Amino acid sequence: MNDWKTSFIFANLCPYVKDLCAIFSDSFALLGASSKLMGEKRNIAVLRNSFVIAIIFLFSATLSAQTKMSTTEANALKTSVKRQADATTTITSDFTQYKHLDFLSDDIESKGKLAFKVPDLVKWEYVEPFSYSIIFKDNTLYINDDGNKSNMDVGGNKIFTQLNQLITASIRGDLFDDDQFDISYFKKDRNSLVSFTPKDAQFAEFIKTFQMIFNPAGEVIQVKMIEPSDDYTQIVFSSRKTNQPLSDADFSQ
Amino acid sequence: MRIFLSSLFALVFLGCASYPRKNGFESVKTIQEETLNPYFSDVSKDYIYRAKIEAFDKTFGGLFIVKKLGPAQHRIVFTTEMGNTIFDFTFQGDDFKVNRILKEMDRKILLNILKRDLKALIAEHSPVLQTFNDNGDIVYATKILSKKHYFYRTEGLLKKIVRVGNGKEKVNFIFSGIEEDLAGKIEILHNIFPLTLTLKRI
Repeated sequence: MNDWKTSFIFANLCPYVKDLCAIFSDSFALLGASSKLMGEKRNIAVLRNSFVIAIIFLFSATLSAQTKMSTTEANALKTSVKRQADATTTITSDFTQYKHLDFLSDDIESKGKLAFKVPDLVKWEYVEPFSYSIIFKDNTLYINDDGNKSNMDVGGNKIFTQLNQLITASIRGDLFDDDQFDISYFKKDRNSLVSFTPKDAQFAEFIKTFQMIFNPAGEVIQVKMIEPSDDYTQIVFSSRKTNQPLSDADFSQ
Repeated sequence: MRIFLSSLFALVFLGCASYPRKNGFESVKTIQEETLNPYFSDVSKDYIYRAKIEAFDKTFGGLFIVKKLGPAQHRIVFTTEMGNTIFDFTFQGDDFKVNRILKEMDRKILLNILKRDLKALIAEHSPVLQTFNDNGDIVYATKILSKKHYFYRTEGLLKKIVRVGNGKEKVNFIFSGIEEDLAGKIEILHNIFPLTLTLKRI
């Protein structure tokens, strides 16, 4: 497949959407359709923004509880996060994910765990209420969907590379790229809230803002992706452990 | 020659026969059902399903979300596991509104497939045109978006919907694991091309 055009939000944790589109494209061909589902060019920058982006206007309601950082404070935070990220070789953590859609009575809650090992080995696993995991390893995406295993060769795919970088950066918190985001820094109680607003207009169609909350140690404790509709996905990390030995078995399907 | 003509006639006759005739349905008095499909009829419920799409030997997953918002209004959203919206539709009666769709999927043919499938999936009320008995199952014939659909009810529970075109089954909707107006599992199976949507309630 060629590059993506847009919406790496989807790709970021669901890169298979690319193939999904391709499949529908194929199905259209079978139906005698001449329209092509996928564009030829995909904007990698959009992907880069994607997963990494997470948390802002959700907190607009609680904005009063947070104050904007001074430049000095923001630089101190960046330094702290960078130091923390550089000192980290592995991370394991549990997470709880809340998908908020305005029209639903309740948020959709799911739980899982993640494992990360430098430089870019990631396993993202949902355990409740469904079983589903994705592993990013050696230019391949390994998916285990409730026992149904599949993988996708993404070698040479720039998007995959960036996707991996995004996820990695997101987990480590090392994500301060002024070229791609308008970044704002806030103090929120004892924690820090950083909001990343994508500069790329195409990407902004899919993710309005990405927010991250850091604890005083410079670790990411929450991530929030806000869609243009203001619906959002909030991920809260817990039981985080760093620099514990992780073996290959921890990154297997 | 006579046998050949008879066979040809039988072939043509059966080939053109209606779906009920082909399947040996017994016509009974038409019954107007208040609710043909109760599985997405409760405004107080959030219907959340884990979705698996199998298309052309590829498999994809996500979350399939349905909410009834009014007497004839449903919102249907499909997201990735991470919650990123792939499509978001509103059905108001026969009106279909795309609130949001992944740009690469924003194609008329795909939207038409989704519109027809999802409308048939959530349609609660639809005038019954004919009623049949099929070996004890009650089968209701109706039209949804101008296409013939047959609702199969077994022991009082909706177990299957079949969309029919030219007397042939085009799409099957299979409901199982039914408890108190909730379908635990739903399969949408296309017969024209290899596309299957499996939904498991979570």
